[in-house]
Amino acid sequence: MITIENLTKYYGKNRAVNNISFTINDNEILGFLGPNGAGKSTTMNMIAGYLPMTSGKVTIFGHDITRDATNAKLELGYLPEIPPVYPDMKVTEYLSFCAGIKRIPRGKRKDEINRVMELLKITDVKGKLIRNLSKGYRQRVGFAQALLGDPKFIILDEPTVGLDPNQVVEVRKLIKSLKKDHTVIFSSHILSEVSEVCDRVVIINKGDIRAIDTIENLESTFSDSLSLHIKIKGSKSKAASIIETTEGVKEILSIDDEGNDIYSFVVQLSGDAEEIQDKLMADLLGSQIRIVEIFTEKPNLENVFIDLINRPVKKERLEDLLNEIVPETDSADDSAEDDEDEEKEDI
Amino acid sequence: MFSVYKKELQSFFYTPFAYALTALFMLLFSYIFANAIAKLETTNRLMFSFTEIFYDVIIFFIFLIPIITMRTFADERKLGTEVLLMSSPLNVAKIVLGKFFANATVFLFMIAGSVLFPIVTEKNGEVVISQLICAYIGFFSWGLMFIALGMLISSFTENSITAAIIGEIVMFADLFLDDFSRTAFISQYPKLQSVLLSFAAQPRFAYFSQGFIRLSDLVFFGSAIIVLLSWTYISIERRRWNRG
Repeated sequence: MITIENLTKYYGKNRAVNNISFTINDNEILGFLGPNGAGKSTTMNMIAGYLPMTSGKVTIFGHDITRDATNAKLELGYLPEIPPVYPDMKVTEYLSFCAGIKRIPRGKRKDEINRVMELLKITDVKGKLIRNLSKGYRQRVGFAQALLGDPKFIILDEPTVGLDPNQVVEVRKLIKSLKKDHTVIFSSHILSEVSEVCDRVVIINKGDIRAIDTIENLESTFSDSLSLHIKIKGSKSKAASIIETTEGVKEILSIDDEGNDIYSFVVQLSGDAEEIQDKLMADLLGSQIRIVEIFTEKPNLENVFIDLINRPVKKERLEDLLNEIVPETDSADDSAEDDEDEEKEDI
Repeated sequence: MFSVYKKELQSFFYTPFAYALTALFMLLFSYIFANAIAKLETTNRLMFSFTEIFYDVIIFFIFLIPIITMRTFADERKLGTEVLLMSSPLNVAKIVLGKFFANATVFLFMIAGSVLFPIVTEKNGEVVISQLICAYIGFFSWGLMFIALGMLISSFTENSITAAIIGEIVMFADLFLDDFSRTAFISQYPKLQSVLLSFAAQPRFAYFSQGFIRLSDLVFFGSAIIVLLSWTYISIERRRWNRG
């Protein structure tokens, strides 16, 4: 299990990641979702032990990434946002270098390199200079590097960016297959990808966690706020009064005049959408109002996502609120951990 | 550490880099050698200690060594491969050492060709072997110190050209530190003068080239290398902490 506790990162006075905590269970694919600049890569870099955190703790299968770095790093494979490849090296040279720094025993290196090249389907370019490879191939070479040595924990920062649709499908399939005996955290700003591949998602924006849940739960949380679209031909005021008084209608969100006596209403519902829709249709027809169009809009994940990331974060403590206005200059926490982190910073 | 060393060597020797650099060095060396021969006053016998030649060659070090070291860390950062190294089980000290030894190997390869000149001279004249060996030891120690310095400068920046230029400036300053500290102006302040002189590498090299191996000089170069490499280590760690 991987635990992330109260992870915070300041770049100078700018806060990139604010006190986030979550856990990744064994054999789980966790999606890490957020718009660009949300703090995804910073968090990934901290989990992988590349960037030191301002405060907080990352534990990878019981090894602290800062205190027990070597053991923790032996357990992980990391594909950063920009594939970390040397353009002047051939693919096999590069992979054998990576195998070396990952401490794969000399005798096993060749088989291991062949295995990951098979997995990522890059065997056909193994003798080529990385400089001459296309973006998609480079991405896959970087991915192959992350899988070398079969680490239990795999961090993938936007692994499908730059791949063509065919390769995207293949890479997604590969990520899914990793689930059998790996733990994966996988960041993306593409929703459909996350919903297809991941068991749970963490949604992050501006350094704050907005939600941690399964895709299904996220969708169902928002399903009670369905909206109904009705387009009618006839009297606007009459229709409005009927709609308003129908049971189950919360409020009319908007009325648009589309000309020729056609009006379209967007109505927010509470309760069983089908029942309300039937009732509304009967009432409206009864009052000689023609219905041109009627449908209820389900909240898709896209809407959930947009809603979540734009929702203001509740401040639990007054200090947090103050921090938002005046970024804290030095941590007032007296815990030993923080002190040590700061000492390192002073070097 | 060996993996990093091997990778660095590959990047020098699988590309024309190391060969081009060595060719340039040999060209400069030949030019200085030919000049020195022409200036020789003895008519019947060639007696040569190569001291002067090494003195002149040192100047070119200032241009050649930053070229070896400029890419060391600047390129890793630019290519984004620093992440790979830092998220691997390697620690930073091993990365620094691996790279230092690789640079030192390239440097050794570069100066190895110059042995040709004493051999040719020996065939047709006489070479003071003891002085030559001492000069080589001095030459090599000085080179290692400049390599450590160049690596430190490379760890400051993301641009290898900037690293090379700054390296040249700093090395140039170090070369003329003793001349500078002997100026009338600095002589007014004897304490300052002695501090400056203790940092100057040139007078220490002079002893080597005259055939003296003094422990204090070896300690000077050795400790300079250790200090500069440790500083490089700190500089990399510091950058990670302050990044952004």
